[in-house]
Amino acid sequence: MLFNIISERRKMIDKAPANQLPSTFAVNELAKALHPGYIPARIAAIREETENVKTFTLVPASSNKVFPYFRAGQYITLSANIGESLLTRPYSLSSSPKQALEGIYEVTVKRDGLFSSWLIDQAAVGTELVLGEPGGDFYHDNLRDSNKVVAIAGGCGITPFRSMIKAVIEGSEDYQITLIYGARTRSDIIFKKELETLSDERIRIIIVLSEEKAEGYEHGFITADVLKKFAPESASFFLCGPDEMYRFVKDELKKLEITDKNIRHERNAAGNRNVDNPRVFKLKVRMRDKVYSIPARENETLTVAMERAGLNAPSRCRSGICGFCHSKLISGTYTVLKEHEYRRAADFKFGFIHPCCTYPDSDMEIDVPTV
Amino acid sequence: MKQYDVVVIGAGNGGLAAAVKLLSAGKSCLVCEKHNLPGGFATSFVRGRFEFEASLHEFNGIGTPENPGSTRLLFRELGVEDKIEWVQLKDAFHLISKEEDYRFTMPFGLEAFAEAADKLYPGGKKYTEQLFSVGLQIREALEYLSISKGKPDPSILKEKYPDFLRFASCSVSEGFNAMGFPKMIKDICSAYWCYLGAHCDNLGFIHYVNMLYSYISGGAAIPKHRSHELSLAFETRIRELGGDIWYNAEVTRIITDDMGHVSGVQINDGTEIKTRHVIANCSPHVVYGRLMDPEAVPERALKLTNSRKLAGRGFTVFLALDRSPDDLGIKEHNYFIYDTCDSVRQYKNMGKLHENSAQATVCLNRAIPDCSPEGTTILYMTTLFTEDVWSLVTAEDYFKVKNEVAASMIDRFEKSTDTHIRDHIEEIAVATPITYARYCGHPQGTVYGYESQYWDGLLPRVMMVEEDHFVPGLRIGGGYGERLLGYPSSYKSGYNEAVRTLRDMEKEGE
Repeated sequence: MLFNIISERRKMIDKAPANQLPSTFAVNELAKALHPGYIPARIAAIREETENVKTFTLVPASSNKVFPYFRAGQYITLSANIGESLLTRPYSLSSSPKQALEGIYEVTVKRDGLFSSWLIDQAAVGTELVLGEPGGDFYHDNLRDSNKVVAIAGGCGITPFRSMIKAVIEGSEDYQITLIYGARTRSDIIFKKELETLSDERIRIIIVLSEEKAEGYEHGFITADVLKKFAPESASFFLCGPDEMYRFVKDELKKLEITDKNIRHERNAAGNRNVDNPRVFKLKVRMRDKVYSIPARENETLTVAMERAGLNAPSRCRSGICGFCHSKLISGTYTVLKEHEYRRAADFKFGFIHPCCTYPDSDMEIDVPTV
Repeated sequence: MKQYDVVVIGAGNGGLAAAVKLLSAGKSCLVCEKHNLPGGFATSFVRGRFEFEASLHEFNGIGTPENPGSTRLLFRELGVEDKIEWVQLKDAFHLISKEEDYRFTMPFGLEAFAEAADKLYPGGKKYTEQLFSVGLQIREALEYLSISKGKPDPSILKEKYPDFLRFASCSVSEGFNAMGFPKMIKDICSAYWCYLGAHCDNLGFIHYVNMLYSYISGGAAIPKHRSHELSLAFETRIRELGGDIWYNAEVTRIITDDMGHVSGVQINDGTEIKTRHVIANCSPHVVYGRLMDPEAVPERALKLTNSRKLAGRGFTVFLALDRSPDDLGIKEHNYFIYDTCDSVRQYKNMGKLHENSAQATVCLNRAIPDCSPEGTTILYMTTLFTEDVWSLVTAEDYFKVKNEVAASMIDRFEKSTDTHIRDHIEEIAVATPITYARYCGHPQGTVYGYESQYWDGLLPRVMMVEEDHFVPGLRIGGGYGERLLGYPSSYKSGYNEAVRTLRDMEKEGE
């Protein structure tokens, strides 16, 4: 009996063709198109939005004619060698999903740190950059969110909402948007003309100026009163802006009894922590068969230390949530701020960290995946 | 050039178990993983204030430290048992089927299961007891087969394992018919078929009943901290034993020498690594179709691979709800929700993109109450697509289509269980065959390896392991291996391929 099944199987194998196997499949190709990892790109145009803000139009630098499709609200990363460092930063896409299929991504950048200053002051049309594929969970999901979105933007936090507004207009997303946009003065309004000339019944724009009174604008902050006045019933609230804005607006939303389920915010990168006279520790970094000994400043994350040293270490969200830099802690003590603590339960048990939001409290040794 | 005794391709369950076994035997070993985490499907992910289990529904063969199951014993041997905290599950499953109007829970434990079957179908006890006695014999016969290394003594088989021989070439349907099972008993006893992804006319009786027996006799468990805990336990063990594990390191080529023997691998950044032995924890379609030079692939390997059928392509809706399971009325840990208990017709329905809402659904809080913040629930619903229907979806339609299918899964759950969850979704993630293809590279996003066919099930594969070995120095283990899919099977398969590799090395005088 047992030997029958062997001869039966042999027969089935005998009958099969000896053709070359397919090297790929449609589903695997779609996965690759949506998630290619890194994408070489070139700056095709630069537009000045305000004094310190520019929009960069990016096109593929390879033979690919398109960029990966994405969900409006998601971010990409930009990487470039600057001096001795290899820097990677996340930026929300300010262009629409359909434009990706035309080979266009746009990011809108405000002069802030080292990388953004380099972009604003040094990068030019023709400059090549490496992009990291779109990611992040700051997008509207029709199974989770209301079809009435209140988008609350502070300063440069307008960028993902520009993508969402464009997506609604072009038809790749289907919801109503009430944009409540906080800026200091009229001259700080990014996409001013675009927003003010917009005419679409699904989109309503309210601009709140904090340091200027002007006709057609709200004045002050995004308070419960402002929210009550403009936010439709049973809406989903999307927040993008500085951390101080999140704290303020979330308190205001609480006054209106909006539950956590209906409030989402885009996470900001972990910046430097406040330490008086920061010490410099020794950081030993293992990457595959190589070991590097580099300095790590107490007030900066381990990822910043590795970037300064020019190491090709993983960097994506820089806020702790994406897990791309998941690394083994071998020794040393460290701090992770509560708002960046998104490690998995087993990571604590087995000693894994996300260097992008980990500050050294001693000399440390870590094992980091190479990118 | 770096050199290792063995390179393991893929840090999935099979690859991790293989690496630990090789390192324990004193061999040097490098594990190359294309993703940035170990585990393959055995992982977890974070959304907001929730950590989701990526794939595991339940794990059989664990038992207790005092009364260990086969997988616990394997973990003990590999030195990972103490690194994992297990939570035992209470009931086996809650079966809901529209056509038969079923809605009942079956418990673990041979006796309890038989009693419950008797209550549902008077006289059912007798049938299930009969099945379990065959199940025990199957388990013992498989153990005998594995120690006899494919050369069993026919007289011992005849004398000690007559039922095993009787059912050896039967499908589940044939076996249940031969035992004279009434329909309802068949339905109860075949409810787990979706875990193996082949319908009961194709699924080998031995394979299925062995699994059923393992679940019902030994119960099931899940790791306290999601399957990421399992993967990190193995990862940590590899480091303890001096092994290397490289992430973001996709093997792009398996290199062979003039004699056709493995001589090295190349990874995606162009680095070549010298080795005489490779254990591939990935699909033979990938190994023979992409990683090896075409002229190095033996004809029989192509014929075997072409003869096989890719099994179910995965689809899962992960939900975090902002109410407790009690508030929502979600009572069970483990639901099987079918259109019909006729697995052949159900299987066929699962081949359609927009008509498939059959599901195996887990409420994690019913096993681990504190798996999410107080007053919340983690629920995940899984189905399989039995055809390559996702190949028709374009990038532009993808997000829309995946939410349409997810919506029908959610509706189906609500209707089947009289619950209302739609308005309580705080976090959602949807994994499609494209997602599984992305992370693990499996053809068409299959999560179940090669489908169990009547001619290509557990038994013929186990008996033909050496016949299926074509390239000196190359072994293939994991979910595509001889033990087929599933957590315990893929660990065991990886372990077995490591043992075979050690034997190969010994023969070659290494």
